[in-house]
Amino acid sequence: MLEIKPILRSLMRSKAGAAMLIFQIIITTAIVSNAAFIINDRMNYLSQETGYPEDEIFSFSVMTVGEVDNLSTLLEGTEQLIRDIPGVINANLINNVPVSGGGSASGFGSQPASERGPDTRAAYFTADENIFETLGVTISEGRNFRSDEVIVGSTMNDVPQVVIVSKGFADTHFPEGNGLGQTIYFGNAPMQIIGIVDKMKGPWLKDSAVDSVVVMPNARASMRQKFIVRTEADQRDIIMRDIESVLLEESNKRVVTYMRSMDAAKANYNASDILMVRMMTVIICVIVLVTALGIFGMTVFNISKRTKQIGTRRALGARKSAILRYFLVENTIICIVSAAASYASSLFLGEYMMSEFSLPALDNSYIVVTIVCVFAISLLSVLFPALKAANIAPSIATRSI
Amino acid sequence: MLSMKNISKVYQTEKVQTHALRDFNLEVAEGEFIAVTGPSGSGKTTFLNIAGMLEPHTGGQYMLDGIDVGKLSDNQTADLRNQKIGFIFQGFNLIPDLNLFENIEVPLRYAGIKSAERKRRIVECLEKVGLASRAKHLPQQLSGGQQQRVAIARALAGKPRFLLADEPTGNLDSLMARQVMELLESINEEGATIIMVTHDAELARRAPRNIQVVDGQLADFTLYQNKTIEAVANATAMEV
Ligand SMILES: Nc1ncnc2c1ncn2[C@@H]1O[C@H](COP(=O)(O)OP(=O)(O)OP(=O)(O)O)[C@@H](O)[C@H]1O
Ligand SMILES: [Mg+2]
Repeated sequence: MLEIKPILRSLMRSKAGAAMLIFQIIITTAIVSNAAFIINDRMNYLSQETGYPEDEIFSFSVMTVGEVDNLSTLLEGTEQLIRDIPGVINANLINNVPVSGGGSASGFGSQPASERGPDTRAAYFTADENIFETLGVTISEGRNFRSDEVIVGSTMNDVPQVVIVSKGFADTHFPEGNGLGQTIYFGNAPMQIIGIVDKMKGPWLKDSAVDSVVVMPNARASMRQKFIVRTEADQRDIIMRDIESVLLEESNKRVVTYMRSMDAAKANYNASDILMVRMMTVIICVIVLVTALGIFGMTVFNISKRTKQIGTRRALGARKSAILRYFLVENTIICIVSAAASYASSLFLGEYMMSEFSLPALDNSYIVVTIVCVFAISLLSVLFPALKAANIAPSIATRSI
Repeated sequence: MLSMKNISKVYQTEKVQTHALRDFNLEVAEGEFIAVTGPSGSGKTTFLNIAGMLEPHTGGQYMLDGIDVGKLSDNQTADLRNQKIGFIFQGFNLIPDLNLFENIEVPLRYAGIKSAERKRRIVECLEKVGLASRAKHLPQQLSGGQQQRVAIARALAGKPRFLLADEPTGNLDSLMARQVMELLESINEEGATIIMVTHDAELARRAPRNIQVVDGQLADFTLYQNKTIEAVANATAMEV
């Protein structure tokens, strides 16, 4: 016996309080479902594996100042010097550092760019055969560069004949999975794919084509040369601290800058997302708390207003459980009435967020789960005051005026 | 049908112990109409609350229809109130956001009576108190006397054999009070046992049996002569 009809009648006759609760539930559901969705979206992104041993890798830039006879020779010497430091696994000159947020990308097609065929966008790195060990990735198909395939020099004019690509690029450009051995064009220059790396991320983790990477064998020396170094994990911090003096000892015509570990670079790149997740979590907690308190307060108020009525109901034969049930059913009715409007307002807010902040479309399941959770929270908020109401003595009926 | 033996009631507040009832003995037979009088604070409401199982007594034995009320659980007393007792309050105690029909329906729902039967009884009771045409009205749209008649209808709807009224006419003018009294008398004639607390000596006089509570104890008078009641009332007033 749920007394739904009289509760509904009674609610209809004192609409203001119920309307306020309904409004609050609608707002809460809309915000919480969207915030939870955004959190989940960001968490998925943040928890993605780069495939790199981030805690073993660091990078820095060497700015050469003044006249140098042969920059390439100098920097390759530097590279060798770094490799000889105890604890270093490998080191390499590179044009851009993966996962750092800064890099180069281009379209790579199956025909020269002048023929305007379809191409696949990929981030590209220029480095030599040491780069795969330095980045801790493995070539799963084909082979590594031979040292005679690596173009050494300080210009982009000589384009290498061979290239190693990520599986992400190969499978996108050659959906049949036969990328190995194919020729792709960088501008008008043909390069043959001689190896495929299973998993490799580009510089921008948020890029939709983050898994599409091309590595060209080109040891290009520049006045601002980036180095990437892999060490034993427990040696990295010490080496990062000491490496500058080693480099300056070799040549004093340089400045060492942008020393950064890969995990720090990644954290820096992700900082805004981490902040967003934290903010959204705080928002959810605050709004849920406010709603719970609102429902709690509203129920306490309703009960104090209805003390005599509750005593009278008890005098007329209501068991304690009937009083408890009254408030739970009343709350359930309010939640059910709110549900459809909550659903619509959540979708509406989701669409607004999608168009305004280029977020993915809100998944329905988030709304449904949020509605259920808000219902549970509101029942919990009602439970305590309702239990107190159930304990109102029936003698209130004759004792109060 | 009602038997109280050495009933006592002690209210224990932080500092003070109030003996609201002590050594209270009373036998009530089926079909009686009893008026309870006594000075303010003498324990009349306390007695009525215990009789109606709205609060437990602290000592003695209370038997209602052979049931030892002191031994019942909270749910059992609630059910027993619902089945056997109809309450009429000084302040009417109608639920403000339910209309008359719904107000009378409240105890019937707790009794688990089916919808059609509920409706039949509510209409019947509203007719009995002369308010059948106002079923959809809210309590605040009625006069005090009308509200009290609705409350009586609500008390009757569950077909209780026992009506307890605490100053049912306390908030009414004398004309309305007389109407309510007449209604109670006709209900009593149909067989219900009635105990009514009142401050109105004239109304008390109309009841076949009068009892007086003084200082938490019963001074039992079965008086049919009006003068004597007034004399007793004056005597106790002087005492207090
Ligand atoms: N909940 C309570 N706590 C403490 N004392 C109480 C409580 N209820 C009643 N009393 C005391 O018990 C005594 C009897 O009260 P009761 O209400 O029964 O008197 P009454 O005869 O109904 O008075 P009145 O004619 O004014 O209604 C009074 O002294 C009162 O103060
Ligand atoms: Mg009283």
